[in-house]
Amino acid sequence: MIAIQHLAKSFPPARSAAQAVHAVRDVSVQAPAGTITGLLGPNGAGKTTTLRMLAGLIRPDAGSIEVDGIDVLQDPHGALARMGVLCDARGLYPRLSARENIVYYGVLRGMERSAAEQRSAELARALGMTSLLDRRTEGFSQGERLKTALARALVHDPANVVLDEPTNGLDVLATRALRETLRWLRSPEGGSKTIVFSTHIMQEVERLCDSVVVVAQGRSVATGSVAELLERAGERDFEAAFVRLAYADDAAASPQALPLANSLAQGPHEVRPVQP
Amino acid sequence: MNFFGTARAVYAKEIVDALRDRRTLLVVLLSSVLLGPLVLIALSGLVASLEARAEKREVFVVGIEHAPGLRNFLERQSAVVRDAPSDYETRLRDASLADPVVVVPPDFEAAMLRGDVPVLELLSDSANKQAESGAGRVQRLLAAYGRERVALSLAMRGVSGELLEPMEIQERDLASTQTRATQFTAMLPFFVLMAVLYGALSAALDTTAGERERGSLEPLLMNPAAPLALVLGKWGAVASVAMLIAVLSCFSFLPAQWWLRSDTLQALFQFGMREALLFVVVLLPFAAALSALLMAVAIRCKSVKEAQVNASLLVLLVSLLPLVSVFNLGSEAWWHLWLPALGQNTLMTHVLRGGALRAPQWLIPLAVCLLLAAVSLWFVAHRLRGAALR
Repeated sequence: MIAIQHLAKSFPPARSAAQAVHAVRDVSVQAPAGTITGLLGPNGAGKTTTLRMLAGLIRPDAGSIEVDGIDVLQDPHGALARMGVLCDARGLYPRLSARENIVYYGVLRGMERSAAEQRSAELARALGMTSLLDRRTEGFSQGERLKTALARALVHDPANVVLDEPTNGLDVLATRALRETLRWLRSPEGGSKTIVFSTHIMQEVERLCDSVVVVAQGRSVATGSVAELLERAGERDFEAAFVRLAYADDAAASPQALPLANSLAQGPHEVRPVQP
Repeated sequence: MNFFGTARAVYAKEIVDALRDRRTLLVVLLSSVLLGPLVLIALSGLVASLEARAEKREVFVVGIEHAPGLRNFLERQSAVVRDAPSDYETRLRDASLADPVVVVPPDFEAAMLRGDVPVLELLSDSANKQAESGAGRVQRLLAAYGRERVALSLAMRGVSGELLEPMEIQERDLASTQTRATQFTAMLPFFVLMAVLYGALSAALDTTAGERERGSLEPLLMNPAAPLALVLGKWGAVASVAMLIAVLSCFSFLPAQWWLRSDTLQALFQFGMREALLFVVVLLPFAAALSALLMAVAIRCKSVKEAQVNASLLVLLVSLLPLVSVFNLGSEAWWHLWLPALGQNTLMTHVLRGGALRAPQWLIPLAVCLLLAAVSLWFVAHRLRGAALR
């Protein structure tokens, strides 16, 4: 379970004349076990900063973060031990094989080497990447990189899985495979894990999430299931609902008036029908 | 996960990673481990050719037929008199003639007998190093001939030749074989210092700026591990690679001696097991400190390329500091030991001169290295989290 309350973080300006950057102003996320929660927002909304604070990499200015009842600020290592994090930059070591990449993190997390080896073989079977295990990650495709990085994040069998933009750069088949994996991780067979992921792609959220947190300009502006959000916005189309919720403060929150925001809100895989 | 377990896991991974970078390792091995011995062998070839020239004792003369007395004297000194080629001036200038030329005027013998002072020309070219080095030898021979003529004339007039030489000068060289050898071995410390530097360079940059560039530092820090443990593991691996190169580079001079072409150089060049081991002892703390320092420089950089530019300043320092002792003409100042690289250079020169290392001599550079490593590692650990976020 992950509970984030009223998180805020601003970065000092690079130059003394510039203004401080308020990356996150007020974000709250409740993610119970056995659910998939999506952080949906345009680029620069504060999603990655929020997830970095969750992983203890940045200290928040205000707010609280708990992972399975452990305060991240008090005991970051205890909280990290219960989390598996997949970063936006996958960060694999190109001269090591996929197996070595996965086992390295297992050992860093205190596993016996043999146990980590065994676990990486199991994960490879589950993720369909057994044939990749002994190849160096140097020449991997985006999809293969993602699988390896995901296996690495799951090596210690964490109860909480955090993914930052997991579908970035993936093709349709790889995206589908990832979706299946996340559903399996949510199910009791997969361990009923708490899954939190960030994305700017509506399609992913619509198809996968039990709960959505819409993040815009550093605030979580709306929370609920996809159906609840549609109802709240009074829209039938999720994209229209998202724009209405995310840009509610703007007087002219219509797609015509906000071409840039609208294009940002679109996923790269989205194909819009040509207007007749 | 405990502190040392983490450090050990990181160490093992970084060693594997560094050793898999075959191309870089090969370049380092070629450039730093083989370069020193190769230069040494080339130098020995040069010395051997100079020696061979000196042994031939040839004197090139123009118009020796005008000076039979000089020819007689030269041959008694077991020198070989040769006629100089007709275009000797041009050939001396373009360095194709490697000996100075003596020009005897046509009326030399007659002028000598008359008691005039004939002029002998000794032709050399100061830009022609080989001819220049032979000029001194020929000049000494000619001076000796002059002295002999004077002694004979005086003896005929019943005057002792000793009147002209009221004292005798005897030269005594106080240098031991080993001190004399340092003329040739002075470059050894420089080569091994550079080898350590290049051994550490790529690994240090890859484990810090490389991690940032690949984006692998962020996920690494999301493991429940103390940053200092991660840094210690990385540093251990970098220092190990640097030390491996240091050891290889020191011992590469041992087989190189077998190929030394010059007998004198071989006799002078005293670099045995004892010297190699002492070199390693001097270099190990230096390798450790330099690795940490390079990591501290590189952790501030976002890419390996940027880190290379920043590290080049350090490379320049390490290669220039040993030159301080050259500018001081070999004399040692107290502060030499306190500067990294220069201190090691001073110690290694001591070893080559065959002197024993006293405790304060090696304790000072050791303490400096330990301090430098500690400060650098603290800095890297301190900056690690900020660096992960770009």
